[in-house]
Order: sequence, then structure tokens, then C-alpha cells
Amino acid sequence: MGEQLLNALINGILLGGVFALLALGLNLIFGVVKIIHLAYGQFVMMGFYLVYLFYEQAGLPMALAIFLAIASMAAIGFLTQFVVVKPLLNAPRLNQLLALASLIIVFENFALFVWGADYRGIPFDLPIIEISNIFIRTSSFIAFLGALFVMGALYLFLNKTYLGLAIRAVSQDTDVAKLMGINPSMIYYVTMALGGALTAVVAAFFVPIYTVHPHFGSAFTLTAFIIVVLGGMGNLLGGFIGAFLIGIVTSVAAVLTSTEVAEIVVLVIFILVMLIRPQGILGSGVSS
Amino acid sequence: MNGCGRIGKILPVVLLAVLIILPMLPVSTYIIHVATLIFIWSIVATTWSFMGRFGLVSLGHGAFMGMGAYVTVLLFNHAGLSPWIGMLAGGLAACFMGAVLGYACFRFGVIGDYFALVTLALAELVALLVVAFRGVTGGSLGLTVRSVGTSVWYFQFDNRIYFYYIALVALGVVLFIWRWIDRTDMRKALAAIGEDELAASSLGVNIIRNKMAITLISTFFTALGGTIYAQYLLYLSPETVCGVGVSLSIPFKAILGGMFTLWGPFIGSAIIVSLEEYIRAAYGGTYTSISQIIYGVALVVLIMFLPKGIFGTLREKFYSK
Repeated sequence: MGEQLLNALINGILLGGVFALLALGLNLIFGVVKIIHLAYGQFVMMGFYLVYLFYEQAGLPMALAIFLAIASMAAIGFLTQFVVVKPLLNAPRLNQLLALASLIIVFENFALFVWGADYRGIPFDLPIIEISNIFIRTSSFIAFLGALFVMGALYLFLNKTYLGLAIRAVSQDTDVAKLMGINPSMIYYVTMALGGALTAVVAAFFVPIYTVHPHFGSAFTLTAFIIVVLGGMGNLLGGFIGAFLIGIVTSVAAVLTSTEVAEIVVLVIFILVMLIRPQGILGSGVSS
Repeated sequence: MNGCGRIGKILPVVLLAVLIILPMLPVSTYIIHVATLIFIWSIVATTWSFMGRFGLVSLGHGAFMGMGAYVTVLLFNHAGLSPWIGMLAGGLAACFMGAVLGYACFRFGVIGDYFALVTLALAELVALLVVAFRGVTGGSLGLTVRSVGTSVWYFQFDNRIYFYYIALVALGVVLFIWRWIDRTDMRKALAAIGEDELAASSLGVNIIRNKMAITLISTFFTALGGTIYAQYLLYLSPETVCGVGVSLSIPFKAILGGMFTLWGPFIGSAIIVSLEEYIRAAYGGTYTSISQIIYGVALVVLIMFLPKGIFGTLREKFYSK
């Protein structure tokens, strides 16, 4: 049992890395554009299908397939901003949320139409790493490292480039950012495109771990939201910590009970944290 | 204004008269079916608006609807309890759930986005519980109501027309409660809370008590809508009565019609259910996924253009924080 728990703990940490990456895009969108992107998981699903399309169906090399998927998802993110979010920026928040929720229906049925209801995956034969009775799936390990790398790159982008500075400025205070000569509308486009690109990156790391189907995304939207809220909406570091917390809880609870109970435990923790500390682990005050 | 007031008084009476005699006219059973669905969803959308119009935006009403449906059907299937009694039990169960979550939220001042997300999590939680206890609930495959033919005591009728009238009466009750709420002090208190919680509390408005009261009313009657829905379809699954999808579709209907107006949720439900049925009938047979894509796009377009066009003036109170 002890060994099993240790295994679960380590796999939970690896899962946390992937979750952190998953939540990153959503967090960025929430922090900057300040919308609740309910179709986020469906974006990941589309990213997954695009990698599948370019690699398995079009026969392109993996790297190129991933690159094309990232570019396509960035374009879809941009388009979403142009067609749905921008016209609703001054609308009530509930309307924004429901418009994006309607995109769930559009994306899921588009995937159903193009790829059908079958589970699609790209088979990889990756070995399982074994270190003195601890078993780690190579795919999870790659995803973990990749997630850390991408997060590092994003951190540098946000902190060391002019565009990153502008994004952070808009996130912190849109009005003052305007005074500083930043065009928030442009930054929104960049953020949504970046968020879209990130979903494809997440999807690329998911490829060796999961198989995709049209309803693949919904579970990830909720997971991502839980992480983002736990960490404090718009707080990237908080989201990072929240992701590992959820990863470990999911993994350990699944070993102790079942995967379904693990999901229930996560939701209960989420609700409790929301009640006791709605601003999240690292959030500063509830913005009401 | 005077003319408007008169039309506003006459129109509902005419509408009611038409709805009462509709099943007696030579209309197809399909029309009756769609109308019944509209009534049932109107009940739920209206009871959602009880809370929604005061800024208590719940994205988890699927949980309460599911509670009403599942408690009733499980009590009937396993214990043979009449759904009429089960309906009360389901309503009370939903109230209990609403009370626990509501009290915690109101006590700790969880409002706005955070309230929406907590309730959304509740909807998913209930759906997951239904799936986890599949031995009793049938899990994601769903649950069929044990059929007994036509029996008033067991709330089952072979003829759709009975359900048509039951749903219509229930909708009438719910609309009446809306009116009743309008006349109470609770409405003023909740309106003040919705505008500015801090200011209201400084004027001596008991925030928790008023919010709790409206939550209990809303959850009870949402559960009732869930029961009628389950009894009508004789089938329920986490996807059709609880979960995130249902929970999002409820405010959608209310908002589309206008959640601040008595008839808004009804109009919204009528638009959405008709659209759903029309698209299914017109394209569903051959191109199911395409019809659903069209439906999704139509929803986006409606939410973008309709609320601003028709109910734009009521907008500023939406989701007041």
C-alpha cells in the first residue's frame, strides 16, 4: 500500500505538470480578457484532432503536424475573439459565458461530423520507466518536462518582452494600460491566439497519453477551471500550485478509491475552497 | 403606457385561453409534445430566474432539477412510492442541497463569478454522484421509470394531453409565485442586495435570510420541474436532467427571453425548444451533427443579438455584482 501510494504521489506530480499547462491558457485568458472561456476544453479537443489530422491522416512529420496544429488553434483563438468575444466585451458576463458555452456544441459536433464518434489515437510504443518499484509512464514524464519547459518559455515571454509586458499591463489595469499607449483590443487578440496555441501544445502532450473523441474536452474544461480558481483567477503562480494539488489529489484518491470518487473528491475540495477562500490560494481579495 | 398596460393585461389571458383549448383543436400530437416540453422548460427557466433576476446567477440548477427527477423516480421504482409524494421528497431534497450550499455561499459572501462557478461545480458533482452510484441510479446509461400504464396515483398517463395540462398548471403556479414574490418585502430586499450588497446590509437588510428564502423557493420548484420532466419522458439520465449541459441551458432560455420579466423565461424556452425541435426535424435525420452545429451557431447568434435588441433596456441589471 505504501509503495502504491508513493507511486500515486509521483504520478500525481507528473499529472500536475500537465494540468498546470492545461490551466495556463485558461488562466491567461481570464486574467487578460477577463472572460470565462467555457469552451476551453473543446479547444484542447480540437487541437488533439488537428495533430491527429496532420500526422496520422495527412502523413506529415510529427514536429510539422504539431506546428500546424498550434498555428491552426492560434487562428481559431483569434477568430473566436473576433467573432464571439469582441462583440460581447461590454455585454453582461453571463451572456459572454453562455455564448462561449454554445461554442461547445459547435466544436463537439464539428468533430463528430469530421472524425465521427470513434476514439482516435496515435499509437506510440513508449517504455515504462522503473526506478526501484516506482513505475512512471514515459509519456507522462515527457508531458511533465514539456509542461515545465513551455511554462518557463511563457514566463520569459511575459516578463522579458514588450508584448508580454503589455499583456501583463492590460491584465492588471486596462484603463491605465490604455493611458500608456497600449491598445487592449490588440492585446485581447494576442491573448486569445496565444491561449488557442497553448491548447494545441497541451493537446500535443496529451497525444501519447490519451485517445480523443468528440466529448473529450468537457472534463478538461472543468479541471482547468478548478485549478485556475483554486490558484486565484488570473494568478499564474497560484494556478501552478493548484495544478499540482489537483494532480496529486486526483491520483492518490484514485488509488485509494476509484477514479469517479477521485473526481468527486476534487469537486468537493473545490467547493470547500471556494467557500472558505474564494480568492484562491494566492489570490488577493475577491474582485466583486 | 396606459395602452401598454392594457395589452399587457389582455395578452396573457388570450394566450392562456389559446393554450387551454389548443389540445382540443385538431393539432398533431407532435405540437402537443413540443408545447409540453416548452412548458416544462419554462417552469425550470422561470424558477431559475427567481434567483437570477436578483443577481444570484446559478449555473447549477441542473443539480436541483436532477434531484427532483432522481429522488422521485428512485422512490417509485424501488419503494413504489407515488411520484406525487416523491415529488415533494425530491423538492425537499433539492431544498436541502440548495440550503447547504446556499447558506455556505451567502455566509461567506461568495457572489458573482464565484457563485456561478461553485454552482457549476455542484451540477457536475450531482451528475458524477449519479454515475458513481450506478447500481442504484443506472449511471450514465440512464434510468427508465417503471411503467404502470395510465394511473393518476402513479403520475403516468398514456395520453400526452394529461401532461400538457399538468405542465401548464405547474407553469401557472410558478408564474403566480413570481407575482407573489413581486408583492413581498423580500423582493425589495433582494433588489437592494442585487444592486449593492454592502449598502443593503448597512440599511439593515438581512442578506442571508432573504437570499436563503429565494434559494429555497427556486430550488424546490426547479426540482418539481425535474419531476414532471422525468414522469413525462419516463426516462432520465445524468445528461438529460443534471450536469453542466442542462445547467447552462436553463439560464440560456431565461436570458434569451429576458430574466427580469415575468414572461421572459417562457418566451426564451419557447424559442429555444422550438428551434431545437425544428432543427432536429428538418435536418436531424440525415445530418445530426450538422443540425447540431447549426443549432450551436444559432445560439451564439441569438445571445449576441437578441438580448440587446429586445431586452436591451433591462440589461444593466444583469448579473449585478
